[in-house]
Amino acid sequence: MDLEIQKRVMDMADKYGPENVIVILGGAEAEAAGLAAETVSNGDPTYAGPLAGVSLGLAVYHIVEPEVKAEIDPEVYDKEVGMMEMVLDVDEICNEVKPIREQYSKY
Amino acid sequence: MPYRVVHYINQFFGQVGGEDKADTKPFVKEGVIGPGMAFKGALGKDATIVATVVCGDGYFNENMDTAEQELLSMIKSYSPDILIAGPAFNAGRYGVACGAICAAVGGKLGIPVVTGMYPENPGADMYKKNCYIVKTSNSAAGMRKAVPLMAKLALKLLNGEPVASPDEDQYIARGIRKNVFKEELGAKRAVDMLIAKLGDKEFTTEYPMPAFDRVTPNPPIKDMSKAKIALVTSGGIVPKGNPDKIESSSASKYGRYSLAGVDDLTADSHETAHGGYDPVYANEDPNRVLPVDVMRDLEKEGVIGELYDHYYATVGNGTSVANAKKYAQSIAKDLIADGVQAVILTST
Repeated sequence: MDLEIQKRVMDMADKYGPENVIVILGGAEAEAAGLAAETVSNGDPTYAGPLAGVSLGLAVYHIVEPEVKAEIDPEVYDKEVGMMEMVLDVDEICNEVKPIREQYSKY
Repeated sequence: MPYRVVHYINQFFGQVGGEDKADTKPFVKEGVIGPGMAFKGALGKDATIVATVVCGDGYFNENMDTAEQELLSMIKSYSPDILIAGPAFNAGRYGVACGAICAAVGGKLGIPVVTGMYPENPGADMYKKNCYIVKTSNSAAGMRKAVPLMAKLALKLLNGEPVASPDEDQYIARGIRKNVFKEELGAKRAVDMLIAKLGDKEFTTEYPMPAFDRVTPNPPIKDMSKAKIALVTSGGIVPKGNPDKIESSSASKYGRYSLAGVDDLTADSHETAHGGYDPVYANEDPNRVLPVDVMRDLEKEGVIGELYDHYYATVGNGTSVANAKKYAQSIAKDLIADGVQAVILTST
């Protein structure tokens, strides 16, 4: 995850309180989504950015995960995400992000 | 007292910034930065990162000599017992920087050095002889795997424990040969390998071949009757008396000799300097190795345009690939400048 974005996530968690922040990912690849999920929950696994060694414990989901889909107006979801949902390997992404959330998210 | 470790990283892992900060000049900070946190955990109580040295990849690669000096004095001032650099994964300039700084520190301060790279990182090939380079994945996603391996190897080196084989300790083979005792004789092991190979079964060679680079051939010459052709040989054919004293083995040079007015090489005019084959037949008729006679015939028949009026010779007996490459580059430069279109390369 980009250093700039790590910094913004950190600042927002600080400003609003980590219990009030949920990170929704949109990355197209499972591995990248997993890395991003880990970065905002357990800390930057690449030890490159401001979140290296910082465990924010934020709740984190990918936009294609069923928990997120259920919360969104189906018409809007279809219009905004439908296309990508067809193209992406949804199962692979879910299998990558979910265990990380379950292991590291505190909220 | 725990061992003292200095950690080298680039501007990205040093949390200065990405490509836009690649010109960051070397600086040092006491304690850990970025991946150093992971190393701190992996090294445990036996070793402490006393300082982290950071340098931009661009700055290092563009100012190699001065950057190396600056970094060396920074590192030296912390009197480390070991230097850990990277890991650099598949980042080319970072890999070269890690390798170069490891080579310099290992050579000048005489302390152990460890780095980590993806095997295809150009730095790996350049510096695998100088330092232990732990194999990593190609992106920073592999940090969690790389750090424990590098830390384990670092602790081994610090404690003076013997380092195991490249496979076991997961570093890139350094080209060091070590004598070991085996239960079974070499002949039996070789036959066992052969039987396994014939049976399509797995076996591990005891002598892996080096990976030679492949050269894509140039397109063929369209009209040979207009081409200028040169003769180059590694078969050691030199004018009688070997005027340049080209060594019979591990040649340190090559020679350039005139063919002007020469239609045939004879036992009186030429000989071989090569010490790696029976020279009798080459000395009897040097055309057998350097076919000047046939080339002159082809020239007369109009099959080729002309034979280049000089030939180049060296002894390809135990000559290192690096030297061979160097000679070839320099010979090719001459030939191109003189309008030669093709070379006939003869060996022994």
